[in-house]
Amino acid sequence: MAASEGGGREEVKQQFTTREGGYTLMRLSEYSRPTRLTYNSQNHLPVKVSFISINDNTGCNDKIFFNVGRELYFYPYKGVRKAADLTKPSDKRTYKGSTLPTCHDFNQLTASPKGVSLIVGFSAGQVQLIDPVGRENSKIFNEERQIEKSKVTTLRWVPGTEHMFLVAHVSGSMYQYNEELEPVATAPFYQVLKQGEDYAVLTCKSKVPRNPVQRWVIGEGALYEFAFSNDTKYIATASHDGFMRVFHYDTMEKYGSMKSYFGGLLCVCWSPDDRYIVVGGEDDFVTVWSFHEKRVVARGRGHNSWVNVVSFDPYTTDVLPPNMDVYASDDDITHDSNHRDRSFSSYSRTSVHSGTGDGPPALSYRFGSVGQDTQLCLWDFSEDQILNFQPNRTRTSTQLSQSAQCNNVPHGKEASSLHPDGTQTLSNRPTDKSKEKSKKDSISRTPRQQYLSKIHETIMCMGSKAIGTTLCPKLDDVFRLEPLITKKIAYDRLTTLIFREECIVTGCQEGIINTWARPGKVGMSQHAAASGTVV
Amino acid sequence: MQSSASAVVYTVPQDSFTRGSHQIMTCMSSEPKVQSKTCFSFPFKMGVGSSGLVNDIGPEHFPPNERYFGLVNFGNTCYCNSVLQALYFCKPFREKILGYKSQPKKKETLLSCLADLFNHINTQKKKTGVIAPKKFVAKLKKENDLFDNYLQQDAHEFLIYLLNTVADLLQAEKPTDKGTLKGKPGTPNGKLNGNNNESKPEPTWVHDIFQGTLTNETRCLCCEGVSTRDEDFLDLSVDVEQNTSITHCLREFSNTETLSHEYKYYCENCCSKQEAQKRMQVKKLPQILALHLKRFKYAEQYHRYTKLSYRVVFPLELRLLNTSDGAESSDKLYDLVAVVVHSGSGPNRGHYITIVKSHGFWLLFDDDIVEKIEVSAIEDFYGTATDVQRSSESGYILFYQTRDV
Ligand SMILES: [Zn+2]
Repeated sequence: MAASEGGGREEVKQQFTTREGGYTLMRLSEYSRPTRLTYNSQNHLPVKVSFISINDNTGCNDKIFFNVGRELYFYPYKGVRKAADLTKPSDKRTYKGSTLPTCHDFNQLTASPKGVSLIVGFSAGQVQLIDPVGRENSKIFNEERQIEKSKVTTLRWVPGTEHMFLVAHVSGSMYQYNEELEPVATAPFYQVLKQGEDYAVLTCKSKVPRNPVQRWVIGEGALYEFAFSNDTKYIATASHDGFMRVFHYDTMEKYGSMKSYFGGLLCVCWSPDDRYIVVGGEDDFVTVWSFHEKRVVARGRGHNSWVNVVSFDPYTTDVLPPNMDVYASDDDITHDSNHRDRSFSSYSRTSVHSGTGDGPPALSYRFGSVGQDTQLCLWDFSEDQILNFQPNRTRTSTQLSQSAQCNNVPHGKEASSLHPDGTQTLSNRPTDKSKEKSKKDSISRTPRQQYLSKIHETIMCMGSKAIGTTLCPKLDDVFRLEPLITKKIAYDRLTTLIFREECIVTGCQEGIINTWARPGKVGMSQHAAASGTVV
Repeated sequence: MQSSASAVVYTVPQDSFTRGSHQIMTCMSSEPKVQSKTCFSFPFKMGVGSSGLVNDIGPEHFPPNERYFGLVNFGNTCYCNSVLQALYFCKPFREKILGYKSQPKKKETLLSCLADLFNHINTQKKKTGVIAPKKFVAKLKKENDLFDNYLQQDAHEFLIYLLNTVADLLQAEKPTDKGTLKGKPGTPNGKLNGNNNESKPEPTWVHDIFQGTLTNETRCLCCEGVSTRDEDFLDLSVDVEQNTSITHCLREFSNTETLSHEYKYYCENCCSKQEAQKRMQVKKLPQILALHLKRFKYAEQYHRYTKLSYRVVFPLELRLLNTSDGAESSDKLYDLVAVVVHSGSGPNRGHYITIVKSHGFWLLFDDDIVEKIEVSAIEDFYGTATDVQRSSESGYILFYQTRDV
């Protein structure tokens, strides 16, 4: 196999073709540091990209924001047209010291030409609220690291709110902050708001409202990513323990879950109509979970390593026209231009941003994934394929009630009164029914330890027993997705994938952010340059 | 044969330690405001004494009946130390070795020396410290010329030599069968005697723990006849590629390959050499799956082995995707329990260390130094993602153990 020799030197692709047409790398649209440094070990944090659109009469409403190593950059984003002058960022920040930016999110609701609210997560657990447009004073949350010390993995504004945001950490905790509340320097004390078998929601014991407003402790190990449903009612989480969990956000009830085939889950996203969730992770698979059926319905194998990002393409998630079963011609555009034109004309991007999930279901879904193998995969599936799939064996998956299976682990009898934070005593100790507040501190570690130990055993048990159930069907028992395309498009791990109306944006750990024009969207200024180098 | 491995489960508190400055320090210009403290990098090389380890773990969380002892390096013996530590933390192996020790004293062999060493660690009064594996290393050098020098050796070769030797010694000590056994120590990939039915020696507990079976399927492209042959293995050696996962490497290992030109296959049916397709899949999954990443590659132009530092990620939890159709419990779940890590540029230079999972937390053994590491630090041992030459600490032998459900 050619791939086995010096994988890193293998040619990266500059275009690819799917059934709707050819996608072309806009080489003049590349964003990166103004001066490209040689590879540097500091780049061990993923490069993430956030977009915001502000009607600021500059002729370029779209703005791009990204982190590379110690730096944050803010530029006008010109899409498939030539990139902005990289030597003149609208805003640039460099962080010294040992805490570095890891991720960021704009509040789309409050953005205006006067200012925007951007939250940035840091590797030592802090969160900074900044305004790269209006340059308002910034605020720091968890500055003294008394709320949380571990790295921020994902943060997002709670959809539809102006001041609430959620921050997930490597510790497995997720905090809700209200940016209007004054920072408090003291460490929080928590009380339980809601508790399930493998998660808990806590709130601060405090006379006045304070941050964090809520603390979610989910599963075991890192919480890598979370995503709100488009109707904003549900939140899906992807964790190192291999579980994807869906919660009703307001009631904090667990709605459902699934388990990776093995290893941690690194990313999660919702279909535009909220009927499917796709996850990716350390089993190299992309896995499709049906929201209504609460079961794994498909797995796709296309990556040669862990899957870092999954994302639906709302502009290509569409009604499948009749007798269009032509699949991607794998490589470049050299052949079959007739087919391309035809398919393109019947595949304009009809956005299916139905939002509420009440509309008619999309018949065909498109999503993409990027991974540590430096590859981009695109995937199509239809509800028909999933509904019509019959396992080729007679054996069927058994529906298993997970709670029934894993409750009788050791410590189970104490579970009801175990506090995730260890701040409560065990109520079923025969000798001290009354709460001994004075001894709280001295014995607090033990219940916490026991709580963690119980969670650990519960999750190990759930993890091992999930195989062959709807949480984690056997390989042959679910529909197997084949990638539409699999393309090596970078020299380093890919960490960003965003579908926009006229292009796809990808970013890799080296700090290079690329724009791929959709079929027919190649900017005129770049057309000559791009077509001149077709290989 | 399952040994009860998990009696008490401890979980590490999630909060990491506060070290260094973690203040957010922005500067819009390049003016150096505050002296920036260097970010600590894993593994911690802070010279924590053994009491430091107890403190790191927390005296109240230190697992009872567990000992964490470093091993003295006698001059390039880290290949040996790293493998010994990995095997010590393969619980089923340790328990068998300790069980062997408790049997009546026999003559001194590499196995008895290993049993003495494990027992010596296991019966220490202190919980942490350093031990000199003097007797074991002396015996090793006496028994095998290959190791009788002060050169760095290949940890994988040592592992296979050790497992085969222990198995041979156990077979030789069995009172019942006499003389028929001929193990082949040092056979590449630890493939024992293949499948020659009658002469196949009775399996020992080494086989019970590490041995799996590959089924080798060859299809003649002329007559379409398929022949299958089973081979036992103690570990699997897989090729590595840049920016892939161990899952991918295993899949490549089992991919169909075409035998043609000078590699044609002699078909019994056609009675001639024919082109054929061949693939190897796992038919019996071992209790402990040892995976050897072939990072050392002979470079013709340099006339020596070079190292492939490719980034190959390995999950803490694994299932095999390259099993054959009839394989029993082909979807059993494995947990990563130990990794022998190589740093440096080639097999005969550089350094070996080992990370192990013990009672829910991870420890790093670097000869006489033992440190607790965060699970997130394991990613430092995947290798390097770009081809820029850097000395890398990269996983070399992975030990996955079946999870008892
Ligand atoms: Zn034949």
